[in-house]
Amino acid sequence: VTEARIAELVERALDYRGYVTLRRSDGSKLVGFVYNRGATHLDLLDETATQRTRVPLDTISDISFTGEDAAHKAQEIWERRKGKLEPRDTPAHGDWGEAGKILVLVALREELHSVARALGVSARGAVVRGRVSGSDVVAVAIGMGADGRRAIGDHRPWLVMACGFSGGLDPSLVAGDLVVATGVRSPGRNTLLAPEPPRKAAVVALDGVRHFEGELVTAASVVTVDEKRSLAGSRALAVDMETYSIAQAATEAGVPWLALRAIVDSLDSSLPPFARKGRRGYLWPALRYAMSGPRAAMELLQLARNAHRAGAALEAGLRRLCRALALAEARR
Amino acid sequence: MGIPAAQMATVATYLLKQRLARRDRYPLVLMLEPLFRCNLSCTGCGKIQYPVQILRKHLSVEECVSASDECGAPIVSVAGGEPLMHPDIAQIVRALVEHRRFVYLCTNAILLERKLDEFEPSKYLSFSVHMDGPRTEHDHSVCREGVYDVAVSAIRAALARGFRVTTNTTVFEGSDPERMRAFFDDMMELGVEGMMVSPGYSYEKAPDQDHFLRRGRSHDLFSRMLGSPKRSWSFNQSPLFLQFLMGKIDFECTPWGNPTYNIFGWQRPCYLLQDGYAKTFRELMEETDWSKYGRKSGNPRCQDCMVHCGFEPSAVRATFESPQAMAKTLATLVTGRL
Repeated sequence: VTEARIAELVERALDYRGYVTLRRSDGSKLVGFVYNRGATHLDLLDETATQRTRVPLDTISDISFTGEDAAHKAQEIWERRKGKLEPRDTPAHGDWGEAGKILVLVALREELHSVARALGVSARGAVVRGRVSGSDVVAVAIGMGADGRRAIGDHRPWLVMACGFSGGLDPSLVAGDLVVATGVRSPGRNTLLAPEPPRKAAVVALDGVRHFEGELVTAASVVTVDEKRSLAGSRALAVDMETYSIAQAATEAGVPWLALRAIVDSLDSSLPPFARKGRRGYLWPALRYAMSGPRAAMELLQLARNAHRAGAALEAGLRRLCRALALAEARR
Repeated sequence: MGIPAAQMATVATYLLKQRLARRDRYPLVLMLEPLFRCNLSCTGCGKIQYPVQILRKHLSVEECVSASDECGAPIVSVAGGEPLMHPDIAQIVRALVEHRRFVYLCTNAILLERKLDEFEPSKYLSFSVHMDGPRTEHDHSVCREGVYDVAVSAIRAALARGFRVTTNTTVFEGSDPERMRAFFDDMMELGVEGMMVSPGYSYEKAPDQDHFLRRGRSHDLFSRMLGSPKRSWSFNQSPLFLQFLMGKIDFECTPWGNPTYNIFGWQRPCYLLQDGYAKTFRELMEETDWSKYGRKSGNPRCQDCMVHCGFEPSAVRATFESPQAMAKTLATLVTGRL
């Protein structure tokens, strides 16, 4: 193939609104969209529209127009419907579909505050709504041990995120550490593996933030230190009371799920008795507990510090996660 | 003229600085295309014909701000594609406004009403709503029923919340001047700040090739459309550009006046032609062979072009460079006659 022929093909490729295949002198092939050319090179964007390659013209032996020409396709569609308009009720997003909701499920309203702060809104009541990168985010406090089935049915999200505080089962975990679940199990039941795409996106989004990946275990009630030690042998990283039920409800609804937990109590500690039950408010029970003795007061102070750390970590993690997941969905 | 005083002052100061720096080529409006995706398939549009993977891509907030900083133009026209389909469009606009750019967010307004909550009214932000004429003509131009009504409702909602709203109208062959004049009345009655008009560019990739205006026909049509303009009409454009459309004055194209940035980079040479891309704004300005473009160059793709992105900067530049042109502009502003 002569230089003149290659030059002619390059001009055609630049004008072509579809993918082309470059055959190179070494026999290799490159497929992509030609968006630029210079005197000695052309620039190509690959088929995933992520990788740019500069190809010297003297290494090209042929160019074939292998992808569909989007301009020709538009012409054909227009000719087919010539004069006929799209109906009034065509979806507002045209052929692209609207980005769906992310549903964040937490157990307690105290956890909902972290979600609200991450979304930049104020938390009033048991539901918080925000918008991140064009995607709606709804967070619901479903109560301790609940499965969120109703919230999933009501909001029909594209992703369910089980979120909130948890107890550490691994000795290296301290208050404020984040855990992204690779799976979740419940005593006597099968392990549910976390769907890979949102989990991977989450790990990328949390780059630079202290976090761990591993299994969660869901218990029926707040576990004591002894119970935690016996669960620790299972190699699970953390224990909570909702992730398994939420994951099961999401799986049954055909919605991918993701779990992000912040450690509030480490392996060698547990929550004080008043905090082991779901309540409307924790202020009075906490004060009563603090007045029961200096040791209880110290324990409570430590819990407050840990809860603050966990809340801040959750907020920071969620801020990154919601944005990354919303963008990933928008690109999908 | 429907251009706020603060914007006029900023542009005038900017132009003065360019003159003092003896710059021959400088940008006036950055045409920022953060995505090519659109929720319409308009008959005269040659902007969105790409493979689906490219249509799914968009510029990040940081890329948009960086392009605006690199270019330095005081005005940023956010086009596309439909910018309101960008997941981070509100952040992009907020960031540009924080950088004190006058932002014109060009939209078909289908998503505008539901997205208004994401934006804050500002003297730096104007929604530039695509309106190609009266109801029938507009719906035909965008190939969908009911879009005119949706856009009118969105304009009302945006105005009620204190946003600046302008319209942008592309005129094609077959437009009825009298109906267009009535359309201008309707838009001004709605309360828009100003209107922008331009003939459509004959995109080679647009599905409908039969309705692009030739130069002579443009003069005739715009003369009838804009002749004896009503006092109530307000155009968000240079009066000299409108006179250029009417054939009363001639300009050469300044393609560098409205440089275009999108996912491929800095588009050569202008918003309408795609002769490749430069990696940096400097490369675009310094390494593009500008002599190959414009009517005098003989480039066949430029012969019938009278589009605002090439000639509005010429008109604005002329206003500030020639006393006669300035006098003409002032006369138009005082008398309201084009």
